[in-house]
Amino acid sequence: MNWMASLKERFMDRLSPATLRSPLLWSTAEGLARSPLNRPAWRADAVALRYFLRQTKRAYRGGDPVVWANLLFPSELIHAAGAVPFYPEMAAAVAASLELAPRFLDAAAHAGFSPDTCSFHRAILGAWSEGYMPAPACLASTDYLCDSAPLSFRYVAGEIGVPLLLLEIPFRGDDAALALLEEGLEETALRLAEACGVTWHAYLRGLGEAVELSEEARKRLLEVEELRLRHPLLLDGRDALGHLSVLASSFGHPDAVSFYGELAAELRERGERGEGREDSDGVKKLLWMHLKPYYPHRLFEHLQEHGGRIVCEEYNRCYWGEMDPRRPFRSLARKLTGHFGVGEGARRARVMRELALRHRVDGAVHFNHWGCRQSAGGAALVRRELLREGIPVLLLEGDCIDSREYQEGQAATRLEAFLESL
Amino acid sequence: MAYRLCYYTRMPESQNTTASTRSREEEEAARPGERQALWFCAYTPLELLDAAGFRPRRLSGAVERLEEADVLLHPATCPFVRACLVQGMEEIPRGPAVFVNSCDAMRRLHDAWKDMVGRGGGAGGRGGEGGGGAHMMDMPRRPGPWAERRLAQEILRLAEELERDGGLAVTPQSLKEAAALRMEVAKRCLQWGEGLAGSSRMRLAEAAQTLPPRLFLEGPPAGLAEGRGVPLLLTGNLLNPRGLVEVIEEAGGWVKTADLCNGDRPFLDLEEVDGETLEEAALSLARRYLNRRGCARMDDARQREARLLRMARECGARGVIYASLKFCDPYLYEWPRVEALLRSEGLPVLRLDSDYQDGHAGQLSTRVEAFLEMLRQGRRRA
Ligand code: SF4
Ligand code: SF4
Repeated sequence: MNWMASLKERFMDRLSPATLRSPLLWSTAEGLARSPLNRPAWRADAVALRYFLRQTKRAYRGGDPVVWANLLFPSELIHAAGAVPFYPEMAAAVAASLELAPRFLDAAAHAGFSPDTCSFHRAILGAWSEGYMPAPACLASTDYLCDSAPLSFRYVAGEIGVPLLLLEIPFRGDDAALALLEEGLEETALRLAEACGVTWHAYLRGLGEAVELSEEARKRLLEVEELRLRHPLLLDGRDALGHLSVLASSFGHPDAVSFYGELAAELRERGERGEGREDSDGVKKLLWMHLKPYYPHRLFEHLQEHGGRIVCEEYNRCYWGEMDPRRPFRSLARKLTGHFGVGEGARRARVMRELALRHRVDGAVHFNHWGCRQSAGGAALVRRELLREGIPVLLLEGDCIDSREYQEGQAATRLEAFLESL
Repeated sequence: MAYRLCYYTRMPESQNTTASTRSREEEEAARPGERQALWFCAYTPLELLDAAGFRPRRLSGAVERLEEADVLLHPATCPFVRACLVQGMEEIPRGPAVFVNSCDAMRRLHDAWKDMVGRGGGAGGRGGEGGGGAHMMDMPRRPGPWAERRLAQEILRLAEELERDGGLAVTPQSLKEAAALRMEVAKRCLQWGEGLAGSSRMRLAEAAQTLPPRLFLEGPPAGLAEGRGVPLLLTGNLLNPRGLVEVIEEAGGWVKTADLCNGDRPFLDLEEVDGETLEEAALSLARRYLNRRGCARMDDARQREARLLRMARECGARGVIYASLKFCDPYLYEWPRVEALLRSEGLPVLRLDSDYQDGHAGQLSTRVEAFLEMLRQGRRRA
């Protein structure tokens, strides 16, 4: 049994907002994570688990200012303030894996939120209305990838009267727009430092360090990407899909450097030992786009049973260039505009095509999360682009958070038929 | 010059034309040889299109064949956007299309449009089959000096792109003149609309957004009806003018203010546009768009809520109908706070979700009638 399952067994039936603040929960969680019985698939997973436990404990136990952020908001800006970055979209995924999401979704419906919105954000708003979310000193969001984060954060900010820091990323990253984005970043940083009670001088020092650490982690991430390309079947994409949380939240923190450093080292070691080669016959290599269902499901088992293997994922990628700690705002502006989800849908489609060709996949699966105007909204365009290269694409309708909107049988049948056709 | 305005009447299915919300009159008003620029979102700076010598034409979409948009747009996408794509695909319109980076739906429409209808005019793009580029303009969500400079940058870039796409070179003078004319249009539209029935106000607003300003300013069209019934504030995004407003009127309600993207909203709180240089005029135009009455995508929720309340009070509304197109996230996320606010102020509110076709008019009428009945009983009790 993994640590999450053990934790669930001990605390689920008495889970309340107060439980999340109790020292007992966190000492038990940390104990279970350290226990020799908890054997993660990769050494790096232990680093990630330690990081998330520490940050989440800080968020719920109080003391340090908490900043809610969406997945594209640069985590470096938060680490620079020594604040706790809290990612509600990830919290929604954790709630789903603990099978708590339906309850939160119902709470959101009760509060008046339409089922036509993204269930990540509905779960967030439901959990928040029931007191399960840590209180933020401020909320920070970019206006990409989608409208949901700025809108749901706006609701929370409005309800409790704390600032919402909105970073608006230009559709086109030309020089003039980039210069203004740099200014916007600085203004946002100033407000963030203020909300977290940090002097500007101390903040700027922290930012320099954060950007330096971010660059270190980036280099290691690039190594990981190279190694995955060389040994495509070593790191299973269904495990790698979880790395998105590391990518989004830990850059600017030393643990991101450790995580990717450890992962690269282990990939190298295992690759040299020849692991991952033995079962390569008849494997259908796949690109996985968008996210996965976070509640318990058997989709990936079906995938494996039919010879499918995820070798690359849409979001787990280094999409930005070198960062310069002496020019932190310029570096972050470039990082933000470097994301393939910013700007035209054709850009995303092109990047997906390049990714698929680079990894020589046999096919691609796009998980169409209900209510996602960004990803599902642009899926048909991506599909056309891949089809032009002769790469078949399965658009799999579902919901990442709401298990009630997922029909295992139907999804499995479609997936199996697709894999057979490859 | 005599002209006729668009008369929105519900037609039987069999008479539906390709884009049934588009009227014959509107097409007649477009003269041969006229260069049209298409637009979709109420944040499109029409002043700039005027100054660049284009006749702005808002698409209303082929509402009756939404499912044809499935080729590129997910069914859970704003039906207005889906309808516009279908109309674009069948007409292959000539002239540039101007998009605003206002929401996910508009971004998706721009993507699909470029793929299916016309290619990008900006950043090295070229006119496609449709003979016009697809231009995208960023629109900040939060007013303030940073946003003004950002939007001004975008306005200037769009001006250059439109010129490359066959338009005139925009000068500070031409931009200011166009802005002054649009200001006059806005004033007249609100003035002529005083005391009119909601459907007539919608017709006026539509004419103000579709006709060349000078043509609109010749005078109000004939056949506008006085309003009567239970006073209401209608708020939401872009609604099919042939649908809900008429249903409300038939049920005995009077839409005194239509706070909609295609209603009164684009004409409220406009600032003068000034400036010696093109940069200054663009900055001033940016202020006009950022400071006018915003839709739910704008970030300043508290200001929007305060304005909504003031609007309801000023028009003497006894109730509010909050109606928005399906899958429009800005409105879906805003609703719970608006509902709580209106209720706390003792203003009854009805929430309606529109599929843009308003095909279930029967169902719609029942809900509207019940709401109005409740308001009337409230008066009797009072
Ligand atoms: S799933 Fe889509 S709509 Fe939801 S938060 Fe992610 S990008 Fe936004
Ligand atoms: S709701 Fe706002 S963003 Fe959407 S079309 Fe209307 S003005 Fe544009």
